[in-house]
Amino acid sequence: MSADAATHDDHTPSMWDWRRWVLSTNHKDIGTMYLVFAIFAGIIGGALSGMMRLELMEPGLQFFTGDETFWGSVFGNEHNYNVATTMHGLIMIFFMVMPAMIGGFGNWFVPLMIGAPDMAFPRMNNISFWLLPASFVLALMSMFVPGAGGDMGFGGGWVLYPPLATSGHNGPAMDLLILSLHIAGISSILGAINFITTIFNMRAPGMTLHKMPLFVWSVLVTVFLLLLSMPVLAGALTMLLTDRNFGTAFFDPAGGGDPVMYQHLFWFFGHPEVYILILPGFGIISHIVSTFSKKPVFGYLGMAYAMVAIGFIGFIVWAHHMYTVGMPVDLKAYFIAATMVIAVPTGIKIFSWIATMWGGSIEFRTPMMWAIGFIFLFTVGGVTGVVLANAGVDQSLHDTYYVVAHFHYVLSLGAVFAIFAGWYYWFEKIFGVKYNSILARLQFLFFFVGANVIFFPQHFLGLQGMPRRYVDYPDGFAFWNEISTYGYFIMLVGMVLFFLVLIDAMIRRRKADANPWGEGATTLEWTLSSPPPFHQFNELPKIK
Amino acid sequence: MIRLPQARNARVALFAGLTAVTMVGAAYAAVPLYNLFCKVTGYGGTTTVAMGEAGAILDREMTVLFDANTSRDLGWEFRPVQRSMTVRVGETALAYFTATNTSNRPVTGVATYNVAPFKAASYFSKLECFCFTEQTLDPGESVEMPVLFFVDPLIDEERRMDDVTTLTLSYTFFESEGDAASSDAAP
Repeated sequence: MSADAATHDDHTPSMWDWRRWVLSTNHKDIGTMYLVFAIFAGIIGGALSGMMRLELMEPGLQFFTGDETFWGSVFGNEHNYNVATTMHGLIMIFFMVMPAMIGGFGNWFVPLMIGAPDMAFPRMNNISFWLLPASFVLALMSMFVPGAGGDMGFGGGWVLYPPLATSGHNGPAMDLLILSLHIAGISSILGAINFITTIFNMRAPGMTLHKMPLFVWSVLVTVFLLLLSMPVLAGALTMLLTDRNFGTAFFDPAGGGDPVMYQHLFWFFGHPEVYILILPGFGIISHIVSTFSKKPVFGYLGMAYAMVAIGFIGFIVWAHHMYTVGMPVDLKAYFIAATMVIAVPTGIKIFSWIATMWGGSIEFRTPMMWAIGFIFLFTVGGVTGVVLANAGVDQSLHDTYYVVAHFHYVLSLGAVFAIFAGWYYWFEKIFGVKYNSILARLQFLFFFVGANVIFFPQHFLGLQGMPRRYVDYPDGFAFWNEISTYGYFIMLVGMVLFFLVLIDAMIRRRKADANPWGEGATTLEWTLSSPPPFHQFNELPKIK
Repeated sequence: MIRLPQARNARVALFAGLTAVTMVGAAYAAVPLYNLFCKVTGYGGTTTVAMGEAGAILDREMTVLFDANTSRDLGWEFRPVQRSMTVRVGETALAYFTATNTSNRPVTGVATYNVAPFKAASYFSKLECFCFTEQTLDPGESVEMPVLFFVDPLIDEERRMDDVTTLTLSYTFFESEGDAASSDAAP
């Protein structure tokens, strides 16, 4: 084996050898595949949101008409609108953000940052990745097979609540979706086991847990959340599956079950899941802010343990998603208090980022712009989150566009901005070529303006009482819906610019520096060439 | 003896894998635990089943409202005989519901129930209830179904319950699933 490895060190296999990718056991290649997969899934998820925004631009039905017109035959009917909301949510969570953050950046930079030659289980890493396209194909297939009666696809929302997910959708669409999520869950759990083993066992000599870069900390906390929450989703989905097909009655009151129990199980997974989506972003932002302020991150230990605290509290607040199911007031009081406590470690992180910038010699390079955009937008989403934590307020805002605005500020603008920040921070390291920073900054500008124009008006719509997951609305909501759709077009320009950056970098192929960011970039990946050698750290680096 | 890195990795992976498996088990354990939790706390309006009558009858009075529902496809008419009753706390009272099978086949129903406000549900004690068993009605058959209950005098000792003056007992009848399956299988 060692002789084999030695010959591999000399040369990188060809880009065009399919075995390099399909049979890959190399953490960097697998990371790249995750990133490409996430971009691909992001296009589909983004297109679905475009379909929704087009429909909502004006009151009445213009696109999801279900008739013989061009749009009606392409978009389908009102049910397909609900399918679009459902699949947009599932695709963006399971096939875009998670693969990009954990699979993509996690695979690429966890081994590099801790000075390891690769992941602990390279073959399992390959399985983790390749389960994902299989799962994605199943999810896409579910959109084109009967869901409810003659209507195609599952339109019950990404939360998959029964009875809509059991007796409400009798077709095979929901079964395909369950299978898809099971496979995506297995992929995540295998990935989580791999990361935990890698981070615990393969750190370079001298790199104690308390010297580990914050991105590695963030991935460590994230994969623990995955390991503890994903199996609960798998259990709940299996119960849905047997309720649908094998006559059990876990969630069917006629057989002694309780549909509300599904909500408890789902949100026991679902709430940690939203931290799974954002925590790696916290890690990325910490590195970028520190690099471009040319200062070590403020309050390193506080930052690490704030993430641990967020992860822990994330498991004991789930019922704040279900204030309206009829909970005793004391239980609500507990969930309000616990939820608001999350603002404390989150505040520690926000203020520590600001304190890192304070007095630093700040350079507004492309990743730094995205990072500061992230901090601002995430804070806005965090503030509306504290508003929604109040059960009394939530009674009125539950399932309105206020909630949609809130979670898009923390995810669409928070997580996605963190992904782009990481993308432009590590682009040269990953691909070994420079990118056009003017185009990339322009993309930031369009994204920042566009995303705010989409989602800020949705706060107003929600406060006015516009419910989510409806294809149509009364005329009174027309104005802000139209503005919101204009925001989508602005963001679309940003998306085009993203691909222009890629194409430009691909054509010009300007050789990247090992460390383009200078003295502020202190983590181990910057000690290697760009791109790093196919196998790195054959001699383990020593950390002082 | 030298510990191979592979062995160390396998150990961590094993622990992590077992954690994942345990969590799947925990999801299933939630089913009985959830039922137990509802019974103990009255969560979701779960009432208690009493073995004997209350020890004391207090002067405090409660209005008990009765509510009856059926699932959409059951084919029964189901309603309370009396809309409301005023009972003294601790006093055993008897209320009736009537159910008529308006469909043209025998239907076995099973009732779920709860008491609002939820916080007082665990003080609502039933001695005898039609909801404890399944009920089968032939086409056109009509029956009166009794509920024997009392409000637990302990409710008077809880300051949190001082504002409770009305209790609503609600039933929803579903077609029993076991029955529906067996009638499908029958020739």
